[in-house]
Amino acid sequence: MANKLVSEMRLPPHLAHLLAARRLTTAKDVLSLPEVELMGVLDAGIHTARAAVAHVSEIACPPYQTALALLESVRLGGGGRLATTLRGLDDALSGGIPVGKLTEIVGPSGIGKTQFCLKLALLATLPECYGGLNGRVVYIDTEFKFSSQRIVEIGKKSFPQIFRQEGLAQKMAGRILVVRPTSLSDFTQSLEQMKVTLLQHDVKLLIVDSMAALMSSEIEKSKTGLRQHPLRWALSFLKSIAEFSRIPVVVTNQVRSQSNDDGYHYSFEVEKKGDSNSAEKFESHLVAALGIQFAHAVTIRLVLEAHSGHRFIKVAKSPMSPAVAFPFTVESSGIILLSDEGIDVPGPEITSIRCQGENVLAR
Amino acid sequence: MVAGGGRTGAGAGAGAGCFPRRYPLPADEVREKNQDERQGGQFLDGMDLLKDVTENKRFLPTGVQGYPIWIIDALLGGGLRQGQLMEITGQSSSGKTQVCLCSAAHVAARHLGVVVYLDTSNSFSPRRIARMVDVFPISLVNEPKHVRLHRVMSSIICESVFDIFNLFEVLHQLELSLKKKVNNGSSKICLLIIDSISSLLAPIISGKYPQGRSMMLSVAMILKKLADEHNLSVLVTNHMVAGNGAPKPALGESWKTVPHVRLVVSRDRGSNICTATVLKHTLLASDRHCMKFAVPS
Amino acid sequence: MEIADLPICTSYRAKLLAAGYSSLASLSAADPPRLARGTSPARRTAHRAPPRRQTLPLDSPLRPPTPIAAALLACDEIARVGVDLNIEIPEAEDILKVAVCANKFKGADGPSSVLKGSQNAWDMLSDEQSRKHINTGSGDLNNILGGGIHCKEVTEIGGVPGIGKTQLGIQLAINVQIPVECGGLGGKAVYIDTEGSFMVERVYQIAEGCISDILEYFPHYQDKAPSGQEKLKPESFLADIYYFRICSYTEQIAVINYLEKFLGEHKDVRIVIIDSVTFHFRQDFDDMALRTRVLSGLSLKLMKLAKTYNLAVVLLNQVTTKFIEGSFQLTLALGDSWSHSCTNRLILYWNGNLRYAYLDKSPSLPAASAPYAVTGKGVRDATSSNCKRVRVM
Repeated sequence: MANKLVSEMRLPPHLAHLLAARRLTTAKDVLSLPEVELMGVLDAGIHTARAAVAHVSEIACPPYQTALALLESVRLGGGGRLATTLRGLDDALSGGIPVGKLTEIVGPSGIGKTQFCLKLALLATLPECYGGLNGRVVYIDTEFKFSSQRIVEIGKKSFPQIFRQEGLAQKMAGRILVVRPTSLSDFTQSLEQMKVTLLQHDVKLLIVDSMAALMSSEIEKSKTGLRQHPLRWALSFLKSIAEFSRIPVVVTNQVRSQSNDDGYHYSFEVEKKGDSNSAEKFESHLVAALGIQFAHAVTIRLVLEAHSGHRFIKVAKSPMSPAVAFPFTVESSGIILLSDEGIDVPGPEITSIRCQGENVLAR
Repeated sequence: MVAGGGRTGAGAGAGAGCFPRRYPLPADEVREKNQDERQGGQFLDGMDLLKDVTENKRFLPTGVQGYPIWIIDALLGGGLRQGQLMEITGQSSSGKTQVCLCSAAHVAARHLGVVVYLDTSNSFSPRRIARMVDVFPISLVNEPKHVRLHRVMSSIICESVFDIFNLFEVLHQLELSLKKKVNNGSSKICLLIIDSISSLLAPIISGKYPQGRSMMLSVAMILKKLADEHNLSVLVTNHMVAGNGAPKPALGESWKTVPHVRLVVSRDRGSNICTATVLKHTLLASDRHCMKFAVPS
Repeated sequence: MEIADLPICTSYRAKLLAAGYSSLASLSAADPPRLARGTSPARRTAHRAPPRRQTLPLDSPLRPPTPIAAALLACDEIARVGVDLNIEIPEAEDILKVAVCANKFKGADGPSSVLKGSQNAWDMLSDEQSRKHINTGSGDLNNILGGGIHCKEVTEIGGVPGIGKTQLGIQLAINVQIPVECGGLGGKAVYIDTEGSFMVERVYQIAEGCISDILEYFPHYQDKAPSGQEKLKPESFLADIYYFRICSYTEQIAVINYLEKFLGEHKDVRIVIIDSVTFHFRQDFDDMALRTRVLSGLSLKLMKLAKTYNLAVVLLNQVTTKFIEGSFQLTLALGDSWSHSCTNRLILYWNGNLRYAYLDKSPSLPAASAPYAVTGKGVRDATSSNCKRVRVM
């Protein structure tokens, strides 16, 4: 919509000629200029400029729908969830990972993020009668952790009745397309071709494991700082893919240990001293490069952490779910919950990430 | 001393020490409508100006109180001077709008004239003004509170302005109506507040639009002209932007020279105490630095 | 008023100035019927030359004398310098139209019409007192806001991710629809979603929660409702929310421009929520100065919409860190200039284990904090029974 050509907009002829003469060819060109600059560029009076802007805006504006229409389309689409088969988690997320939204899985290394992704990938390939999406999966593997053997093992162990037939597990695994970009530009390129790939291969799930691995080298090289974050484009592109192709998109994120002890607060908050509750300090530490902006951009955030000898999966950000944590382990059949009754986690602790008793932050 | 300037009113026709005017004017020049054309050529001498300043240009109190004196007025050596343009700048929510509302309330309450408030961010709050008026000390004229409230509120006129061309139109209308009502005594406009002028000027300056800066200076010129000719006091607010290190007032270097008085207001974290610092003042020495005041509650 | 201040295009301005028209008075005194068709190049005449009539090519055999021309006939005639301006008929008309518009208040008279379209504070006071506020769902939050979100004002709400901005936005979109008989505004909502965080099942849940609360406080509402009116159903609440999904900053600008027309057609909209106003502006803009200018233009437009159509505009914003006074602090995104673009600002933050809201900026209310909670039914007071969120099934 932003790149809609002015020439296709059927504007009144004098406006169309004026805009074409000044090389304002797309809606973006016209609307990015403040009103007075447009007056200057077009060499026209304010009324002409305003008329041009109003026409272009009306056409470039996406159509609206009522929330009721939206609800009906979601319901028609079958509720839009990918069940994770972890009952407690599915209950908390009202069905599973939502379709059309971006879900983030974050945790320290070795905690089980890739295992979780592998299981999700397998689940998506299953036929709908078994709770899957009956489609292909695109798995973008930046850390070279994907293993088809593991997928087959998970399949056989968790759904023995389905995979009794020899070769079925391999067939399901074969529906997973693995992409291994070696650099950020590779990744960006494969994303750009993604839309076509999704349609061609009837893809029903996109997994990126992991986003942060691409970041480390780039962050050291780039000096532009927080503003020009290289992955920002990728993030919004993934979001738009999720929505327009109506598929769930899952990304994983790494953590790094904290580097300073300052608590970040608003200017009006009273200064809190160092002996304060450690969880409180960490809620505001989501400020590293991929940190706070990333956190704003995802719809659901699942935090995996380890403390007091157990591993927990927490629903840290979700519009529909309460703040709960479930203990889990990783077994040959993938991740399983040790208890379907979640533990309520009040306050900002839900977003903190702990690793064997020490606090870490999302990268 | 000879000084040049444009004047209307008493001094214009007599013009002691006038040099010949620039244009050969047709016979019907005396009509009001041609005053714009006439402005350009008059010269006046310094004695006339001094006379005008002492007789016509008074101080308007802002009414912002500290403990126990009127702080900003003390800072300014008396208040907002008529004929001058004062700018208040400060970070977001540092108290600029409060100072404007307070000044409007005080000036209206003391029968000094009508206040025109041009508001760009829908921040004009009649409720706030009513509360401020309620806590004023009883004036010499013994009138019941509600009568006073009605009188005060009726002398404050508010208009919303949302773009620069609208501002030009409004100022033009103001000029015309001021010219009409020269002799009307207490219902004469004496204070013009624009809150905030920087939100109107920010979209046009420093871009590819070459006219932006000249429009800003044009606004400045119109405001100063209004102030000078009609004995108005003009109060505008400006916001701050990030500079090299410390925040600095917006609108750039060209605007810096425009106001006669510049005040910076800042609020301490989480409290009601604000600090006002004089950045520039044409009449006072700059050793009067800053004073604290409490935002009236 | 100077020619330079009129909203006409640059080249006409230059031509007019070259022709010697420097102020509005001189232009409005132009004498149209005596105009010759101008094709000769522009030239300046000396001061002492005998006055000539202006030659704007305004007359044409196909065109009847316009009302503007007739009106200008009545204006005073002062002929100064004349030059062929060499511009088209409709443009010349436009210029004169602007001139007449700007000058038409010469006729305006009357003691209180200092400015056309202005109001005095006394009238505004009674207006303001009769204005309704939009309930946020939490009584404490309503109290610090002076009753709720104000109409005719732009309110900015910011906070860290997960604090409940979208929840509050959705709650307001539902609460604006509370019927007038139950103390609400009975209006519709426009929800502009830039991040994709609008989850429709959650909206349905909040609508159900709102209805159950209405019925709790007004148990006889359903009985008293006139027969033509439908019973309160969540679907009818959802039907009155107009949803726009925005995917780039161009679309965001386009939708705000389009809102003027849209609101003219849908007069019962009482709230416009943009969630979030930051998202696209943070990532797609390389030229920060342009971003500041575009954003300040947008904010003026939103202010104008709020005032003209008597609705509340709520902007949800993200947070970022800034290095102030020697340490990193949290502030709302989009920079210093944006922080001046709202009438009220509410910051949502964690205080211990509770969610709090801090009123950071308001023209008429003191700064204050209040706790609130997000429950299965939506945003409510943070009383102990509400601390646990009801699980969603």
